[in-house]
Amino acid sequence: MIKVEHIGKKFQLGTIGSGSLRRDMHSWWEKSVLKRNDKSNGLDGEQLNSKGEFWALRNINFEVKEGEALGIIGRNGAGKSTMLKILSRIIKPTQGRVIGRGRASSLLDIGTGFHPELTGRENIFISGHLLGMTRQEILKKFDEIISFSGIESFLDTPVKRYSSGMYVRLAFSVAAHLEPDILFVDEVLAVGDAEFQKKCLVKMNDATSHSGRTIVFVSHNLQAVTNLCQHCLWLDKGMIKMEGDSRSVVSRYLSGLQERIWKQDYTTWNSAPGNDHIQMVSVELIPQLAEAGAPIDIRTPLTIRFRFKNLQPQVNLSVDLLLFNITGECIFDIQSKATLLNNEMVEGECTIPGNFLNDGSYYFSLYFVRDTSRELFTLSECLTFEVADFRENNNWYEKWWGQVRPNFPLTLTKKSDIPLNLSQRGRS
Amino acid sequence: MVFMSEIPQQWIIDSKSNYFVSIRELLSYKDLLFRLVRKEFLSSYQQTLLGPFWVLLQPILTVLTYVLIFKGIIGLTTEGVPSFPYYLTGITLWNLFSDLFLNTASTFTNNINIFNKVYFPRLIAPLSMVVLNLIRFGIQMGLVVVIILYYHFSANMPVDFLRSLLCVPAIIVVTGIALGSGLIFAVVTTKYKDLYGLLQFIIRLMVFVCPIFYSLSMVPHKLKWIVNLNPLSAQFELFRYSILGTSGINSTQFLYGFIFMLIILTTGILTFNKMGDRLMDVA
Repeated sequence: MIKVEHIGKKFQLGTIGSGSLRRDMHSWWEKSVLKRNDKSNGLDGEQLNSKGEFWALRNINFEVKEGEALGIIGRNGAGKSTMLKILSRIIKPTQGRVIGRGRASSLLDIGTGFHPELTGRENIFISGHLLGMTRQEILKKFDEIISFSGIESFLDTPVKRYSSGMYVRLAFSVAAHLEPDILFVDEVLAVGDAEFQKKCLVKMNDATSHSGRTIVFVSHNLQAVTNLCQHCLWLDKGMIKMEGDSRSVVSRYLSGLQERIWKQDYTTWNSAPGNDHIQMVSVELIPQLAEAGAPIDIRTPLTIRFRFKNLQPQVNLSVDLLLFNITGECIFDIQSKATLLNNEMVEGECTIPGNFLNDGSYYFSLYFVRDTSRELFTLSECLTFEVADFRENNNWYEKWWGQVRPNFPLTLTKKSDIPLNLSQRGRS
Repeated sequence: MVFMSEIPQQWIIDSKSNYFVSIRELLSYKDLLFRLVRKEFLSSYQQTLLGPFWVLLQPILTVLTYVLIFKGIIGLTTEGVPSFPYYLTGITLWNLFSDLFLNTASTFTNNINIFNKVYFPRLIAPLSMVVLNLIRFGIQMGLVVVIILYYHFSANMPVDFLRSLLCVPAIIVVTGIALGSGLIFAVVTTKYKDLYGLLQFIIRLMVFVCPIFYSLSMVPHKLKWIVNLNPLSAQFELFRYSILGTSGINSTQFLYGFIFMLIILTTGILTFNKMGDRLMDVA
């Protein structure tokens, strides 16, 4: 049982967060003595007030009963992770309180505390203790954990020599054998292969339906949320936008997402998304519409154009353009050729031909990679758009099947030269 | 036990951060504490040539350097005691202080990945460093004992078992000061990362302000106040007196160190508990 009452969380940006005494003193001087406003941070909107205080969560109330699973959904930055961190006791709320009954454990990451130099055996204990298991519990479940992970023969090998698949399997096996009364799960399911994710979901489902465990589950995978959780909470800009049974909340959330974002010009923002390596300038979706004002439909070719500044010298950079559908499944990942860049402005462009995507809602993310392997920066959900259906000469009214809807020629030819009775004989 | 599982314990999370952490809660995380000690100990000797022998090799090499510089080149005397055990005792206690202080001060830096993902009383992390460093210190004390016995049998150096028990209070005070000041620095350096440089400076300064390779009796009268101001000075003198029977100790000085320890340790623990949760916002 968990009861969340009036939870609010305020972060102080620019004042505490600068991490350097000199900058803090400077900002104090500017604000308190010269009465100037600190504009060192760039969050806009109602969540940020003039003192540089940012409310990540405001007045959150909900209750999860014993044996129930609650899903939390929302866009990036809606406060989902902050909520989970408060529940997990990692950060303190600014207001309100949470009352819980029973032993709680959190799974915010897979392989928490794993040390690459140490053996699988050692790491099972480290991770187990960190997740809140006692020595007795781990010893009791040790064999089970090993056989579940399938790494018996590598038990005494340092985990840095494991393949990434083995690593994830071992880490998850430890987590899967955790038996708390309350479990807080972040998107740990996002790692690992599809089969493994399924195993994860099944295990979690077992947990709530059989052993009466309470689960709070934060995810982008709306399919998983609907399957797993009876109830769902939709967070938006730090506040509860909707709460209720999962199916209806998810469908409302989906229709809300269908507001399209075709163009983002970051030059007008106080601070453009980016980091030390990459600074975004703009992203734009240019549909080649048959006539102005028409909606994008499945026939429309789409051009994506983005501009960014590369800030570091001599970077062998490539960009991945990722397309996701509304349930968070990746439709494709197109990678550019790696290009050697200095401190300069770069434009990227890609055209998706018409007659390729099925109807539905999609969003793009950009992923910047150095030397084709090291992640530099991810700009997620930068463009969202909807592809409308278009059918000619068709009496099929249900949703067209498939993730993509290519128009590959499928031909039927009359074969009058082959005798008809040949097939009749075959049938009898 | 049955009672416990039938009515699970209720807990409350609110905006208040506490100065205190319950001993019962700390005790319930003792498995984790020892596992962290083990993790740190094992991981520091993975893929090394000599492994755990570094615990002994490091002080031996330092002593040899000291003997070469302070005795060979500068010509400092060592109160009539052979220079090797003289420097070794000082360095052993100094290692305990500096390692524990630096380890504790980087609690947040070293554990940020764990602190960001799971909850446990944050004090467990620095406490595991105390246990780890006391174990290392214990091993190094073994070396001290071996060396003393060698000098006892080969050079007839006097050994007094009862007197050597006096080293215990010195060890306690040094550990307490290292932990207390380390905790304060852990909080401060997490908020202001640039103060980590100050830390390195303090450690380098302290090597000279602590009577490690000299004795208080050798300090010129004019400068004595600097060394006396250092709460660790008396502990080093006491420690060396207990093991080697060198120049006596001043009980006021020891008491000053002891009270200093109580104050800084309390301040350190309270600040750490109070700020521990809040620091996760900025760490």
